[in-house]
Amino acid sequence: MAKNIYIGEILKNEEVQKDCFLMKIKIASSFETPLPGQFVMIRIAGLNDPFLSRPISIYSFSRKNNFCLIELLYRAVGKGTQIMAGLIEGSQVEINGPLGNGFEIQSVKKNVVFIAGGIGIAPLSLLIENLCRRFPSSLMTLYFGAQRSSAVIGLDKLQKMCRLVNICTDDGSLGEKNLVTRVFQKDIKKFLPEDTSIYACGPKEMLVALGKIFSKNEFDCQVSLEERMACGTGACMGCAAAIKDKKGALVYQRVCADGPVFYLRDIIWE
Amino acid sequence: MKSKTVPRMAVHLGRLKLKNPVMTASGTFGYGEEYADYVDLNKLGAVVVKGLSLKPRLGNPPPRIMETTGGMLNSVGLQNIGVDAFIENKLPFLRKYDTAVIANIYGETYDEFKKVAKKLNAARGVHALEVNISCPNVKSGGVIFGSDPKIAARVTKTVKEETSLPVIVKLTPNVTDIVAVARAVEKAGADAISLINTLTGMSVDLKTRKPHLKNITGGLSGPAIKPVALRMVWDVVQMVSIPVIGIGGIMTARDALEFLIVGAQAVQIGTANFVNPHATLEVIEGMRQYLAANKIKDINEIIAAFQTK
Repeated sequence: MAKNIYIGEILKNEEVQKDCFLMKIKIASSFETPLPGQFVMIRIAGLNDPFLSRPISIYSFSRKNNFCLIELLYRAVGKGTQIMAGLIEGSQVEINGPLGNGFEIQSVKKNVVFIAGGIGIAPLSLLIENLCRRFPSSLMTLYFGAQRSSAVIGLDKLQKMCRLVNICTDDGSLGEKNLVTRVFQKDIKKFLPEDTSIYACGPKEMLVALGKIFSKNEFDCQVSLEERMACGTGACMGCAAAIKDKKGALVYQRVCADGPVFYLRDIIWE
Repeated sequence: MKSKTVPRMAVHLGRLKLKNPVMTASGTFGYGEEYADYVDLNKLGAVVVKGLSLKPRLGNPPPRIMETTGGMLNSVGLQNIGVDAFIENKLPFLRKYDTAVIANIYGETYDEFKKVAKKLNAARGVHALEVNISCPNVKSGGVIFGSDPKIAARVTKTVKEETSLPVIVKLTPNVTDIVAVARAVEKAGADAISLINTLTGMSVDLKTRKPHLKNITGGLSGPAIKPVALRMVWDVVQMVSIPVIGIGGIMTARDALEFLIVGAQAVQIGTANFVNPHATLEVIEGMRQYLAANKIKDINEIIAAFQTK
């Protein structure tokens, strides 16, 4: 009986760039401190349309004197997130979480590489913050690709935390005009598999491209996946991802409860 | 102050006694442990676990779910760990609770139903079997068994022969005449009937012009289907003498009470668990409050209290 559904109060919900919102939520201090990569299921209480809660990864978290603050960075792409985007300050939301398994971060290697595509920066931001604090002697390098300069969210903060930040955009409005996977691939010789930890989050195309890059070498890359979810707690089996089991056979694992973080080499792209 | 009377909540499904009429619906509550952090399982009438087959099942490729107005479509395809792994790894956890455990079972053949029933009959801690002849998302078995009264009866008989446990048969709404199937399974020895499973439906992505579900069609659940479910329960209770368990879109105690009033002995809460993990407990509490407010001492007094005139 450890888990509750929390009522959160929206303190801020602003459009930080086109269709992309940052929601700041005040929540009871009994809310468990999330691990980087974990998510919450968020819902407007009592609403049957949209019916399901929305899974959103945690962008930032802080503990205050007698409450907690959660920030969610999300794209208003469908009915649920568009309604979320319309919520004003003072509105209440139901929060279930933190859910899922975060990134494996007990130890990191000498080099730590983050590869983010667009809104995929959300879980990686919390991860970068956490790792920078705990492993100050590791060299943190971020590769961050987005459609345009305005979609490069939180750059100031990220530049303070990472030793090196490589930005690229689809339209060339900031950094190199290139795909983030190609920018990383040009640099891959700078890293050795045995002393590099890699974390990635972004659109499927980006992860598929990374999968191809890493199929030819020994790098371990952890990625956070996204999938439609109903329960978020492992019961409905709705958010299946095709994963290779120990024998290499395809099994469907739950993004919510077995993930959302998986090793890239275990993912089967269909 | 006068002490409040605490209404009696226990109901009987034949020889199976439940501490209250609220159970979880198969496939929406995992194997119990997925919600044990949210819900004290001891407070439930029964836990009905995810459908079990003889061998583990991979399930259908994603995407498997899609939200719809007031509900959702799913085509999970009965992904499950198989009956042996359930008995070995999941049942010991459920045995710790003082709550009826109902194993939902599925087979692609009569023989598979028989073997699964036999294994569960020998396992300690299973209080009843619920026979799934109504899953719309699998190619063989499933709804095919449930749409023909003769086949449905044969599955029921096959399971009954293998077990001394009460046998509940779960019916599909995707038939012309659900009463015919209900009567056939009753005659074949079913101890109770549960209905409805999901309604077959689909949804199209306008951008890609592809179905939202990889399986194209899926089963519709959630509050959108409640009136249909209620009508089917009403149809069936009038024509069978075994207990009926109402399922379909129950979100609140009010919804659950409607099913009891038309004649269901118990209810199952399904999709509501996904959006509100406390749904089962809130339904139980809401029922208690309704009974207390209306000075009804025993929940059985409202079962089949339906007034059509």
